[in-house]
Amino acid sequence: MQEVRGNMSHVDDGTLHAYLDGELTPVERARLEGHVAECAACRNRLEEERALIERASGLLGLAQPPERAAPPLHQLRRPSVVWRLRVPVAWAATVVLALGIGYYAGGTPGGRAAPQPLSLDSPLLHSAAADSAATLSRQENEPLGYSAAERRQVVATPRPPAAAERERRVDSAPALARRENDAFGLVATQTRPGAPQEAKQAAPEPQLYIDGVPVRSLLDSASAQSGVIAIRARDSARTPAASAPVAGAQRAALPTRALEEAVVVRGRAASNAAAERGVLVATQWPIIRRGPARQILGAEPMGVPGLAVRNIRRSPTGEVVLVEQAIDSVTVIQLFQQRVESDAYLVRSFVADSLRSGAAATERLARFIGGVRVEIAGPLSADSLNRLLEQVKPIGP
Amino acid sequence: MPEDLAEVYRSTYRSLVRFLYRKVWDAERAEDLAQEAFARALVHKPENARGWLFVVAANMARDDARKAARERRHLTLLKAEPGAGSKELDEEIDADTQRTQVRAALDQLTPRDREALLLWDAGMSYDEIATQTGLARGAIGTTLSRARRRLVEAYDAGSEGQHVARG
Repeated sequence: MQEVRGNMSHVDDGTLHAYLDGELTPVERARLEGHVAECAACRNRLEEERALIERASGLLGLAQPPERAAPPLHQLRRPSVVWRLRVPVAWAATVVLALGIGYYAGGTPGGRAAPQPLSLDSPLLHSAAADSAATLSRQENEPLGYSAAERRQVVATPRPPAAAERERRVDSAPALARRENDAFGLVATQTRPGAPQEAKQAAPEPQLYIDGVPVRSLLDSASAQSGVIAIRARDSARTPAASAPVAGAQRAALPTRALEEAVVVRGRAASNAAAERGVLVATQWPIIRRGPARQILGAEPMGVPGLAVRNIRRSPTGEVVLVEQAIDSVTVIQLFQQRVESDAYLVRSFVADSLRSGAAATERLARFIGGVRVEIAGPLSADSLNRLLEQVKPIGP
Repeated sequence: MPEDLAEVYRSTYRSLVRFLYRKVWDAERAEDLAQEAFARALVHKPENARGWLFVVAANMARDDARKAARERRHLTLLKAEPGAGSKELDEEIDADTQRTQVRAALDQLTPRDREALLLWDAGMSYDEIATQTGLARGAIGTTLSRARRRLVEAYDAGSEGQHVARG
């Protein structure tokens, strides 16, 4: 065994690894190669270390993430990974916002707008962006005529003073949430179509808070399919669980526990958000008689037999019929009904598809009866809603 | 600069995901974090984008781990679906024992050794690793040799332990 050659003693492990990694300078490299050529021991060690490196890198190779294509760089401006917004889901969130919050915000007391008059041939909406833009512009800019009864319905949505008070109290929540997003230094454009951005600026902050969290962020988090997000929002809001201050009598009936679930339960958040959306929408939707409802659906409106029909309403765009039935004096279920061939249905089913996580929570709450899709919402457990939904059938005059 | 970043994105995105994956052990999360790192780079336009990205990514992974721990605690307190937070993780563990063993083996390295090894595996040079970790450049070879040896030994010890436990 050769001890020394020239100035070179045996090579240490670090140098062997650096050599094998191709990280020695040419001079170091030449010296090492010179030594190894003469020194059998170091030659052996070199081979051992080569094997070790291969072994280690093989082990690391066992812990590889699946190969997936990188999204285009220009699509990377996302609000925050914490939300885990994926592009299609962001779309869905847009639609949900447009359908739910948009209507609500558009017609808040003193509201600037009136729902569009019934028009069955209103232009069909082909994209989420178009959808929300159209919805908003309709709400903002079209104080079009509709019957006195309908107007009364929209305007006469008394808000309990206490609720308004609470609302003011939690007003700082969105600001906090915004600041938190700003902290990421990211611009929230591009993954969402432009329209909803404008919507955020044009519309007032959502006035419904659930557990101190603005509903908009709930909807966003619902779209992200994770209760974790909502919890984070709760933290950032730093508001103790406040019951939801909401307009509309039936809102009072919603047990806060159910709302809590929307905040914490993974996957289920989506369906609960749908329920929220339903309740939100309700006061914005004009009451109609059975005749027009039949016309919209091309069939008798659906309901649960034996339950009193409280109201039949239609969506401002005129494509969806809502039958509200009272279970008792404070509990109302809502049945959203829509002709299957309508394009708007496709939009909504897209929402449902996008929002659905592992458990088909959203899916379970809708059903097809004849040519009509019926979706149920209400302050009840998913099981109860599902059972009620099974009983739904056309309700005669 | 944007062109530079586009180039870095092409050449480095996968490595960054791989690097992050060995920290958060969730492929989607790793992708999210990598994408956020690049999104931040778009805003900040750092000089040395590659190095900057790995620093930011490492920090995000660390924050993420803390946050994940906190959120898991919340979920437990709030009685969400059992194991909702770690379900994916559990599935992964069931699905791939080898990966779990690699992970366990990596856990046995010192943070510095592990970092150097992961950076090397993500395609960083000794110079870059030195900058990143604050180690002297001349110490990188030694650090890597130690990290590799520990990894292999810990892995072998782990799988032997398993065989013994099974047998």
